[in-house]
Amino acid sequence: MVLSFFRRGESPMAHVTARIVSMLGDARHSFDVATSAVLGGADPTSAAKDIHSTDERINRTEHEIRRDLIVHIAVQGPEEIALILGYSLLVKKVERIGDQAKNILDLALEGVSLAGAEDLAEYADAQRAISELFGDVAALIVQPDLAKAEEIRKIAGQLRVGHERRIRELVHAEQPGSWAVPRAVLHRYLKRIVANLEGVALTVTDPDRELQF
Amino acid sequence: MCPIEVVDIESVTSTTPRSVSVHPWLTPRVRALLVLGLITVFLSGVASLETGIKILGADTQEALFATVSNPLAGLFVGILATVMVQSSSASTSIIVGLVASGAVGLEAAVPMIMGANIGTTLTNTLVSLGHVRHTKEFERAFATATVHDFFNLLAVIILLPLELTTKVLSRSAGWLSELFVGSSGGTWESPIKSVVNWPVKRLRSFAEFLELPTAATSILLVSVGLIVILGALTFITKNMKRLVADRVERSLNAMLGKGGGMIGLSLGIVVTIAVQSSSITTAILVPLAASGVLTLRSAYPVTLGANVGTTITALLAAMAASRPEALTIALVHTLFNMTAIAIIYPLRVIRDIPVRAAELLAKLAVYRRRWALAYVVTVFILIPLIGILVLN
Repeated sequence: MVLSFFRRGESPMAHVTARIVSMLGDARHSFDVATSAVLGGADPTSAAKDIHSTDERINRTEHEIRRDLIVHIAVQGPEEIALILGYSLLVKKVERIGDQAKNILDLALEGVSLAGAEDLAEYADAQRAISELFGDVAALIVQPDLAKAEEIRKIAGQLRVGHERRIRELVHAEQPGSWAVPRAVLHRYLKRIVANLEGVALTVTDPDRELQF
Repeated sequence: MCPIEVVDIESVTSTTPRSVSVHPWLTPRVRALLVLGLITVFLSGVASLETGIKILGADTQEALFATVSNPLAGLFVGILATVMVQSSSASTSIIVGLVASGAVGLEAAVPMIMGANIGTTLTNTLVSLGHVRHTKEFERAFATATVHDFFNLLAVIILLPLELTTKVLSRSAGWLSELFVGSSGGTWESPIKSVVNWPVKRLRSFAEFLELPTAATSILLVSVGLIVILGALTFITKNMKRLVADRVERSLNAMLGKGGGMIGLSLGIVVTIAVQSSSITTAILVPLAASGVLTLRSAYPVTLGANVGTTITALLAAMAASRPEALTIALVHTLFNMTAIAIIYPLRVIRDIPVRAAELLAKLAVYRRRWALAYVVTVFILIPLIGILVLN
């Protein structure tokens, strides 16, 4: 520990960035497992075990990153306060994605399953698009790029509008509530995850705007 | 929808965006060279101070420094001087300069060094007052800051009477000093002395050219010495902090993960030697404790390490001095802090005294905020000031 003072190593903020990326990786894993429990007919109980242990890891990482950020500001002084606030927001958004994945799992635990449903392809497409968005956002955290952020924002915007439209359609659907409500709720969670991923992308490239000071 | 290429999250390497430096030419290598240059300037400051006092003559020296012949007065002078310059590194370096000039004897300088140890704890206590609006934060911050005060006060309560009766610290330091540079009363040629003395000689020649009287030359040399010591130390600390900030951060993160007492102690020593300021080390701990990231008991050993680490500056200052006593007093500073840790830290019952006192004072300060202010003013200003006036 004391010897770490004398060793050369990556900068502490690069370490924090790597941990945020791994946290986002965990959030993506939770999302994939939760959606496969709803869409792919996977056993929700074993999915729950996996998601809960992943969520614990996400929460622990969030706690450690926050601690690292406090140490950073205590050591480096207030010059990097905007960067630190941006990172805090980033971590919170990633943690929320983990929670929203748990919400999707709750649907599966309630007995909702779209495996074999006639509209499964629509949800499978949505799941794939969001999973890919996770990868794009992770790459953006590592290598911030305004053009790439704009591209992500455009895709996320399209996805959000699509989910919103489907929620409205489902509210007025002729099918029974047991058919429409789970789908509307699922769209709602997917929309929130997309919004948080978009928020992460914007925080990386334009933290001032996201901090709204 | 546009097709998106999937990126493997685990495989990406990170390159974090950092705020751009306002001085891009100040690379770590340039800063390191700058620090070396500043250390030479600092040593020249000590040499200037020593020469300035030396040329005053024995009678004037005695009249000026008669007050500190009383050990308690010396202690109070040490506290007050350190409070005024907000750096024990600076005040102990000045004491080393005074001892090197022969104006202050070793016996009188020891309590001053102990006073400097107490005075330096003011900085992090002032930092903790920044949390005064948030009760819980303030309680934790104030306790973490004042545990340093109470440890140093306890160290003086134990070691000052012991030193006055047995001379254990000054004798041990004298023995060590003799091993390195020869016996007291003589002179020794520091290897870098000719370099650091060069600007002092130029300054004296300039004073002679202006045909200044002895007293004016002395005032000029002492003033320049003091300004150079304070200025150089400020810039050394600033640059060293920049140079080692990432390393400090990494070590703190590692310690917070799984650090114990000895690790905290060692970290405090290493970080303080690197930044050349115990105030910086201890002031970093205050916001960490306030936010709950660091507990009082985890911060405590780091603080003690900072006490030892900060003694490096006086040892460095002794390199510019011509009398072995200068090194002896610098070693007294190191031995005092190491002995205090050896006496207070190993036994839980004694180790907990500063912690309990700090917790109690923090509770009182939370109950009535003005108690915090009253404590600072009384301990660091009123008592030393009244003490000096009465003993004078």
